[in-house]
Amino acid sequence: MSIQKILLKFEPKPENLLGVLKEIQKENGYIGKKECEGAAGYFSLPLARVYSTASFFDQMKTKKESKKIIKICSGGPCLGEKSMEVARQIEMLLKIELENDARAKYKLELMSCAGLCDRGPIVMIDNQIFEKVKPETVDDILANYL
Amino acid sequence: MNILTRSWDKINPLDIGSYIRQRGYEALQKAIREMVPADVIKEIKISGLRGRGGAGFSTGEKWEMAAGQNSRSDLERARGATSNGKYFICNLDESEPGTYKDRTIAEKNPHQIIEGLLIGAYAIGAKKAYIYINGNYKKQAEILRIAVGQAREKEFLGRGILGSAIDIEVEIFEGAGAYICGEETALINSIEGKRGEPRLKPPFPPVSGLFGRPTIVNNAETLANIPYILRQGAKKYSQIGSSVSPGTKLFILSGAVKNKGAHEAPLGITPQELIFNSLYGGGLETGKEFWFAQIGGASGRLVPAGKLDQPLTYGNCEYPLGSGSVLVVDKNADLKDLLLSWAGFFHRESCGKCVPCREGTYRLWEIAKRLKNNDLPLTNCNNASERDININKNHKEGQLVRGEREKDRENIEDILWTLSRTTFCPLGKFASVAWNDAIKMFGKKIFDK
Repeated sequence: MSIQKILLKFEPKPENLLGVLKEIQKENGYIGKKECEGAAGYFSLPLARVYSTASFFDQMKTKKESKKIIKICSGGPCLGEKSMEVARQIEMLLKIELENDARAKYKLELMSCAGLCDRGPIVMIDNQIFEKVKPETVDDILANYL
Repeated sequence: MNILTRSWDKINPLDIGSYIRQRGYEALQKAIREMVPADVIKEIKISGLRGRGGAGFSTGEKWEMAAGQNSRSDLERARGATSNGKYFICNLDESEPGTYKDRTIAEKNPHQIIEGLLIGAYAIGAKKAYIYINGNYKKQAEILRIAVGQAREKEFLGRGILGSAIDIEVEIFEGAGAYICGEETALINSIEGKRGEPRLKPPFPPVSGLFGRPTIVNNAETLANIPYILRQGAKKYSQIGSSVSPGTKLFILSGAVKNKGAHEAPLGITPQELIFNSLYGGGLETGKEFWFAQIGGASGRLVPAGKLDQPLTYGNCEYPLGSGSVLVVDKNADLKDLLLSWAGFFHRESCGKCVPCREGTYRLWEIAKRLKNNDLPLTNCNNASERDININKNHKEGQLVRGEREKDRENIEDILWTLSRTTFCPLGKFASVAWNDAIKMFGKKIFDK
């Protein structure tokens, strides 16, 4: 869907801006300069205002992400369920290092609590959530979803 | 005593009929048909209900502040307030690590929240209400959307509620993943399409909030208590729990405890009872030994074994209740992992608006990484090789390594002092709480290595 089509689904009121940006993120994968300009024109807002919102939130990116991002929850309850062992296993399997950008294809990051503490440890690949991930089961997930 | 969880197992969250059969929406009908808004506010004030998000402000007093605000002033017009109305927002942006009480309510009984929201909107005279839900709670947002649709069909919301002249529109607003948006002014900014950064208070939202208009932001669990209070009477509610903060609370138990999950208990309960009573936590998992508990998520204080008998209330107590989550840590846990987890969380979630928090949480996270990896801090040497030589020398002499560590220790004290006293909003203070306790209680364990 083009940006124009997404924009026209919403009324140009400021409370719809976040919804529009989320939708663009979903369709386009990121919110670049072109997308920001489109939204700024439609909402009659300064470009800087739109960009400041787009660059603030975790679920939106202002640059194209070429790497697959794997996130793992670092919250206390997930730690108790051995989320760090799962992280070590992912590091080993993909030969990457936690929070290190060096590898071209994958990136392993820590994420903040997703409120699923009763189903931890939580692993997220491209916004898809995996619950109760064990070091023994993580290679299955990586094989199927990467 | 069950108020929130009373009929959870009898209710199908996707069917409004099952909620109505459990006396659902009776309180809303009573409010609209038999009470004027001032009566509703009075009733909530008498009940002594306090906000369940963590701060524990009196809900009735908050509503009264907003209800007293009249139509748009010239000053507001000059500031760009475009409407004449007031707003009521349900805060379901739950992102405190270890907390999922609001998610559970939304999953099990969404109408409970919606009914409370409608009563609140009626009481302050708001025509528009929002449910601001955490961007990660996609399924729960869908449940709420269905629930709002069913309530509209039954004329509980929308235009002309229950045949009266009252209009209240409810909209589900999904966040985009930011812990700080749980703070009410940051939440308001994010609905307005701005960065989710907190605003200077005062003016408080009940005076000037969303689009410059009087706005109430209440936690979802607070609102879930409202229908019960109106149905059963404020007197009855005020006798439950402790006298300073009546009612019950959803506690989330996690960590090394046997029965993990959401448990409803009267306020004033002690952590001892929560963790060890078979009604709630049921003690520790077999083979694990209690070390300490953290009350209120990553921003909560640490409670050692000797202090478990302090009651948990929203009054003046040593261990603030916060969001009501209890993380039980056993003696096998790695404290440095936890320190890194807390520091990393606040470093990621600091919004960057004020320097003490942005830099403080960043430096604390750096030190936490060093502690975890047993690295030494960088010295003041100008060139790297000189530094390496120094470090090598220090390693040999052992004594000096401790001196290097001491630098980190001093810096931590500085950072924690700054975080707890000088940041713009409470996030910085939250970041320092658990660290402060950990350094006080286990400083030796952390640094002597």
